[in-house]
Amino acid sequence: MRLSISHETTYHYDDQVRASIQYLRLTPHDSERQQVLSWQLSLPRPVRAQVDPFGNILHVLTMDEPHEAIVIGARGQVEIDEKREAEHESQSSLPFLRFTRLTEADEAIRAFAARQTKKRTDRNALIDLMQALNQHIVYTPGSTAVDTSAAQAFANGAGVCQDHTHAFLACARSLGVPARYVSGYLYSDSSEHLASHAWAEAWIDDAWYSFDVTNQLAIPERHLKLAVGLDYLDACPVRGMRRGGGCEQMHAKVVVSDSAPVATPVVQMQVQRQS
Amino acid sequence: MIRTFYDEMYDVDGAVRPHYREFARWLGEAPPELLAQRRREADLLFHRAGITFTLYGDEQGTERLIPFDTIPRSIPASEWRVVERGCIQRVKALNMFLADLYHGQRVIKAGIIPAEQVLANEQYQLAMQGLNLHRDLYSHISGVDLVRDGDGTYYVLEDNLRTPSGVSYMLEDRKMMMRLFPELFAAQRIAPVDHYPNLLLDTLKSSSPLDNPSVVVLTPGRFNSAFFEHAFLAREMGVELVEGADLFVRDDRVFMRTTDGPKAVDVIYRRLDDAFLDPLAFNPDSMLGVPGLLSAYRSGNVVLANAIGTGVADDKSVYPFVTDMIRFYLDEEPILKNVPTWQCRKPEELSHVLANLGDLVVKETQGSGGYGMLVGPAATAAEIEAFRARLKAKPHAYIAQPTLSLSTCPTFVENGIAPRHIDLRPFVLSGRETRVVPGGLTRVALREGSLVVNSSQGGGTKDTWVVED
Repeated sequence: MRLSISHETTYHYDDQVRASIQYLRLTPHDSERQQVLSWQLSLPRPVRAQVDPFGNILHVLTMDEPHEAIVIGARGQVEIDEKREAEHESQSSLPFLRFTRLTEADEAIRAFAARQTKKRTDRNALIDLMQALNQHIVYTPGSTAVDTSAAQAFANGAGVCQDHTHAFLACARSLGVPARYVSGYLYSDSSEHLASHAWAEAWIDDAWYSFDVTNQLAIPERHLKLAVGLDYLDACPVRGMRRGGGCEQMHAKVVVSDSAPVATPVVQMQVQRQS
Repeated sequence: MIRTFYDEMYDVDGAVRPHYREFARWLGEAPPELLAQRRREADLLFHRAGITFTLYGDEQGTERLIPFDTIPRSIPASEWRVVERGCIQRVKALNMFLADLYHGQRVIKAGIIPAEQVLANEQYQLAMQGLNLHRDLYSHISGVDLVRDGDGTYYVLEDNLRTPSGVSYMLEDRKMMMRLFPELFAAQRIAPVDHYPNLLLDTLKSSSPLDNPSVVVLTPGRFNSAFFEHAFLAREMGVELVEGADLFVRDDRVFMRTTDGPKAVDVIYRRLDDAFLDPLAFNPDSMLGVPGLLSAYRSGNVVLANAIGTGVADDKSVYPFVTDMIRFYLDEEPILKNVPTWQCRKPEELSHVLANLGDLVVKETQGSGGYGMLVGPAATAAEIEAFRARLKAKPHAYIAQPTLSLSTCPTFVENGIAPRHIDLRPFVLSGRETRVVPGGLTRVALREGSLVVNSSQGGGTKDTWVVED
């Protein structure tokens, strides 16, 4: 399947921003299951691409002239191999066993993971876990915030894709299975779920397998991978800081379509959450 | 249980050891009033110089004077040369371990250390994977904590490869002793230490491939317990002391804000933990770091001393493997011994520890500063039971060691002079070459019988002499 992406993020500030800096993970790279046919970032000033600690393509945009708005655009075409279920990698998966503040497994999560999988760690057990988590954390836009932890979302029984993913990572790691956060785009013909998306990957039989808790998908047939990391903070598309500017309004528009880029907006987001 | 302690000044028969003879003669002749007056003088001078230490866990957050004891700790030069070689050997091996761990990982493939032990360790930084550092150096400034057992054998208690502190006390203690008792330094040859700031600056400059790099000291700020030292070292080296907000990143380069406009920074002697360095890459709540610093670092445009990710090598759960690392990387026998260590993450070692809690010292693998540790022989039954519960709940977070007897040194106390336990932290500088200034920081546990020398736990310091014998 060939996916066309158009992702535009606009920041407007009430006051002038004196300086700002953003870590942008908005460029996919080639892998066993995706081939980047074309990709273009449009930024307010030229920025050299680099590779971040997780192998993601990173652009660091620094602006030290006063500004009132920033527009960041990403567009391109990527060919997805829908049949490929897993991806291999030469780097050790062991660093993905560690917990972070957002993926800490509390007693409730540990018990849940052990009960749902009966302590098995094969792919089917993790698929059972994925489905159980989808039931337990009900997809509820607006119920959580960017800094909500897996334990909080799990306790409240509500969240979005970011929370589903964090909870899955906490469960998998508590079972001794290396697992990581994936940020990317999802092609969907319904508009129920947003196009900027997050899911998990777990290391089973020497390969990374996908687990999309929100959509209960164990095969990433409609998923375009942008970046991976220990949690949202490592992999999120935009992470930035600024001096001055007062209140901020952010508008993001993502269009994911198959085949030719005929742009029809699928969704408008007020806040750039991964849902 | 009766323990025998090795005393630095007196041998088992109570005779003064040769390297202390000059001092003992002087002490015997000095009138007690004079000594008391000089000690008061020392207190006053330290107060005036503002050499203080902020205590964590103290509700008032008080700044407290670290007690300074005027009886020096003295080491014969022949003995020091062995300790020095041992420290250099150890730090070389630890730097090679870090370079290997973040590149080919030969040490794992050879089965010297289990992969999970280091790669799943929180202190292992993916950001360092495959990154090439100038001279392959990670720990430019290292502190090796040494203690001596009952027969005087030196043991390494732990390595400090993140932001080891205390060197300012080493320097100030020497200044104080020379000022109060100049006659002692005229009577014998005591190796100087005052060139440390020059060596440090030289080490920092040699950490960069540039000819004359610009160096700054990055401090978390005046509320940090070691702020005095950060300011002291910057002043002694003649470089800028900065906080995170004084620096910024533009196009992968680090600049310092100055009244003359931005000035490029090439080397940062950072006294800030990894997690706080860059809020866009690590702890997002850090107000102490520099946004974008990691991208500049990974682009090779700035040197951090010490490097990011050194904590994986001084983690207490990795400590048991250091002697094998020395054999593996240097093909040499370790000069300094490790304290035998039980790893509580291993079930059979945990059961041994649980059965012998009353005799052991138990430490958190991630802990430092003497917080969160159990000294079995000094603990009450209730304290031991409370610790047993913590240990059972999180065994992987602890290691245990036999209670070492720690050597003693005569120290001024309320009722005259009495032996108190001490340790030693030599500072190892790794640059073009690996160097140690003679001696280091001697910490003394001022409470009678106490084995905890950390300044946060009521420890004091002594001047440390290496005396030509």
